[in-house]
Amino acid sequence: MDILLSGQLLLATLVLGSVYALVAMGLNLIYGTMRLLNVAHGELVMIGAYVAFWAFTWANISPLISLFAAMALTAGLGWATYRFLVRGMLASGQVMQRIEANSLLIFFGLSIILQNLVSLAFTANERAYAYLDQVVRFGDISIGADRLVILAISLAVSLAAILFFRYSMTGLAMRALIEQREAAALVGIERDRVSQLVFVLGFALAGLAGALISMTEQISPFSGFPFTIAAFVVIILGGLGNLYGGLIGAFLLAAIEVYGVALTSSAYRSILVYGVFIAVLLWRPQGLLGGKRLS
Amino acid sequence: MKSRSNWTRRLALTAALALPLAWTAGVQAAEPVKIGYAIAQTGPFAPIADSQIKAYQLWAKQIEEQGGLDVAGEKRPIEFVVYDDQSDFGKIPGIYEKLITDDEVDLLLAPWGTPFHFAVAGVLERYSFPMVGNTAASVQLRDLAPGNIWFPTSAIPDRIAEELVKLLEAEGVTSVAVNTLQLPFSQEVKTFLIPALQKAGIEILVDEEYAPGTRDMTATLTMIKRTQPDGILALAYPPDAITYMNQARELDVTAPVQLILIGPSASFFRDMFGADLDGVMTVGHWSPQKSDWAKAKPFYDAYVAMHGERPDYLDSALAYTSLEILQQAVAKVGLDKDKLRETIAGETFDTINGPVRFDGVENAETPTMLLQIQGDNLEIVWPPGEATQPVKEKAPWSQ
Amino acid sequence: MRVAAAFVAALALGLAYPALVGDYLLGVGLSFLMWVALAQSWVLLSGMTGYISLGHAVFYGLGAYVMALLWMVLPLWLAIPIAGLAAGLLALVLGYPCLRVRGPYFVILTFGVAEFVKYVVVAIEAGLGKSGRLLFGGPSLETLFTIMLVLALVATAATYLVRRSRFGVALRTIREEETAAETIGISTAQIKVAAFVLSALIPGMVGAVMVLRSTYFEPLQVFNPFLSFTIVTMAIIGGSDDAPGPLLGALFLVGLTELLWANAPQLYMIILGALLIGFVLFLPEGLAGRLRLRPKGQYPRGQDP
Repeated sequence: MDILLSGQLLLATLVLGSVYALVAMGLNLIYGTMRLLNVAHGELVMIGAYVAFWAFTWANISPLISLFAAMALTAGLGWATYRFLVRGMLASGQVMQRIEANSLLIFFGLSIILQNLVSLAFTANERAYAYLDQVVRFGDISIGADRLVILAISLAVSLAAILFFRYSMTGLAMRALIEQREAAALVGIERDRVSQLVFVLGFALAGLAGALISMTEQISPFSGFPFTIAAFVVIILGGLGNLYGGLIGAFLLAAIEVYGVALTSSAYRSILVYGVFIAVLLWRPQGLLGGKRLS
Repeated sequence: MKSRSNWTRRLALTAALALPLAWTAGVQAAEPVKIGYAIAQTGPFAPIADSQIKAYQLWAKQIEEQGGLDVAGEKRPIEFVVYDDQSDFGKIPGIYEKLITDDEVDLLLAPWGTPFHFAVAGVLERYSFPMVGNTAASVQLRDLAPGNIWFPTSAIPDRIAEELVKLLEAEGVTSVAVNTLQLPFSQEVKTFLIPALQKAGIEILVDEEYAPGTRDMTATLTMIKRTQPDGILALAYPPDAITYMNQARELDVTAPVQLILIGPSASFFRDMFGADLDGVMTVGHWSPQKSDWAKAKPFYDAYVAMHGERPDYLDSALAYTSLEILQQAVAKVGLDKDKLRETIAGETFDTINGPVRFDGVENAETPTMLLQIQGDNLEIVWPPGEATQPVKEKAPWSQ
Repeated sequence: MRVAAAFVAALALGLAYPALVGDYLLGVGLSFLMWVALAQSWVLLSGMTGYISLGHAVFYGLGAYVMALLWMVLPLWLAIPIAGLAAGLLALVLGYPCLRVRGPYFVILTFGVAEFVKYVVVAIEAGLGKSGRLLFGGPSLETLFTIMLVLALVATAATYLVRRSRFGVALRTIREEETAAETIGISTAQIKVAAFVLSALIPGMVGAVMVLRSTYFEPLQVFNPFLSFTIVTMAIIGGSDDAPGPLLGALFLVGLTELLWANAPQLYMIILGALLIGFVLFLPEGLAGRLRLRPKGQYPRGQDP
């Protein structure tokens, strides 16, 4: 069991956690500010991944550059979703009555549409490419350069997000929206504009995650769903709407996967993940860090 | 006198004019042969079923180029009726019932996947409709009553296990690590592999299973690295086969003999890993490198020309083989179901996979083989009698 | 009494149906009845109490597993009810802890539970050395259809009766104002669990029947999240407040499937997604609501008659 103490496992946790953190961040933001269950989140990650894949395959553009294009595309989708779907939702009293259930269904509809549009456009064929797949070694610990880059970028983005929500006016406005939605309007925060930005930002983050992940995973129009699940597990663990919680949830999930499996057996990986997920929902549904706060 | 001979002459003239007309009309009115099948066009299996669809499409194109399907001497155009099973084999019985009773197809082709084949079998029995299967591999296939379904594959789990152990013995492997995905095909292989390994006296240093959806194999791979086995057998499919390759490479887990159950025979897998895949073995029983099989390389070239990618050596090859069998049977006896059944059950067919003959539901001609990636090609390396190249050792990772 | 007559007529029609149509339409009819049975059971819980279950496939899957285990061991007329009871038992065990969780957490929880049970079954099967189970020699399509007809009628009757009973009033009170309900002495926990268990019985039996249709059991297929989503979709489209809703929803969806799926599968899925969005946004009361097929004087709060 000295494997448990190995640096390799720790690194694996960090890398996996950083992927989860990045994927979950956008979802957390949207849920936190608007209580909308965006189950199409994984599809946005998938779209970001396709942008990076095609950029690399057709034009040999590095995903580190095409990720901006991916973000732009998904941000645009975010804007459109808000403008055409979400505003409609918020305006309807009936829908708002059971906003979570209804938003879940609307976004589920969106996810089906996205999956099948992509499938029509690019066929359902699996895609993959190799970039930065050299192995980097530190002593007797090794990691692929692509995964190292993902780790670095997600940590950087998380840090940027934390600073943004702490110090920028827009960020503060978003936090206000999460913590006190009604009062926010009273102090002059334009809820509509801020909500719009939340969507744009949340979707953009998903696109970023997708572009990076495309380096290490195969993609297909239907490969988004597992990411949606992972994102939900993360934000439940950390507390819906809580950004720090999202980071902790991400690393916790990764730790369960890596260490839990080392302790028991890989056969129990999904049982462990969902088991912890259910346990948190039953025992502490507000998440381990609790509450609707961004920091 | 004159009127009668005039009349006769007029009759002869009319007949002479009418005959070519009737002949042309007859040809133009040649009814298309309706061929029906279901396949995963949406849902999680759609990516994997794609290589089978492409093989079907290639065949259709070639039939068209030949001027139609030869039905006992008469050439007729073909018409496909295709439905999406949405990656749900629960939908298969309904779809095939529709194809048979509602669309009234003349011939049926198989869907993708073992459970899907099982789901069709019941319908075929009920309607006594023969169909040549393809992408199905399970020992439970033998439980199916022969007569309406046949399986050209030789990659049946118990035989794979047997041949694999023989290969390991031949390579002097004394210890292995086995990492198995908890899905039917890989589990079946493991069920037979473990006792076979034990019987051969090969030490099993690591025996792990993992659930579908696993993203990280660091713990298992670290264990494998520490025990330093001679052979690593990853009973995996994509996407976890990809995770396995990536992480094995990252952690520098290597051994002279390495097998990944499913994955290396697919085009995108080889594109992703390139030279690192050199020396990795996989399950399959076809290769364009086999010069004894005259049709193998032309199929490969035609597929690449039409689709811009390599065929899957398992799924695409099997799908095409099943079509060849059907085509040859129809050319011989036409569309009558009983005659087709008799022909498919008894004849030996010449396919891209060499000769194929059925004994019950199974292919009695094609031996169970193992493939290995060597350079740019996927070679048959086992059994020695069929090999296109000898087994080579897997070199350490390129970095 | 009109309603009782309608049920009898439906039963008669259903019994005659297999003799009237070919195998293909029989299969379509079976699908339709399956969705009716599942959606009605779902409405009994989620429509009435407002606790949206996104994991109802877990009961379907468990029923299918029980059937796979009991296949060739027990006769059908025993195995199917046992499958239903097993599902009910699962609901009982899960009910108390899960129904304490409210709102969106409950929705996500049901999803998580379904996935959890799925992987437990995968692990059990792996442990037993089983990789998928063949279930040959099952009953004919006509028999399956008739069994499903009974299940669909029972589920519809259950929803209809509950909707008009005091139990139903209690359920809907929980939907509208749970805290107030507790205050006036309704033991909400027991009532919710009762609804949960009731909503599980039929899906368990439905799963047992359908696994015989496909003649193959595989955990990843029977515990399918898409099934859960489709049930919810159907109830939303048809209306989740009363018995006619799921009937309309199932009819609509099966009809749409027959029209589109054959010719344009991706397009079919896209239209399905668009419809779902459209209905939630513009027709949340569903087709039944729009057609005014609801009992008089019992409109959910906030909606004009």
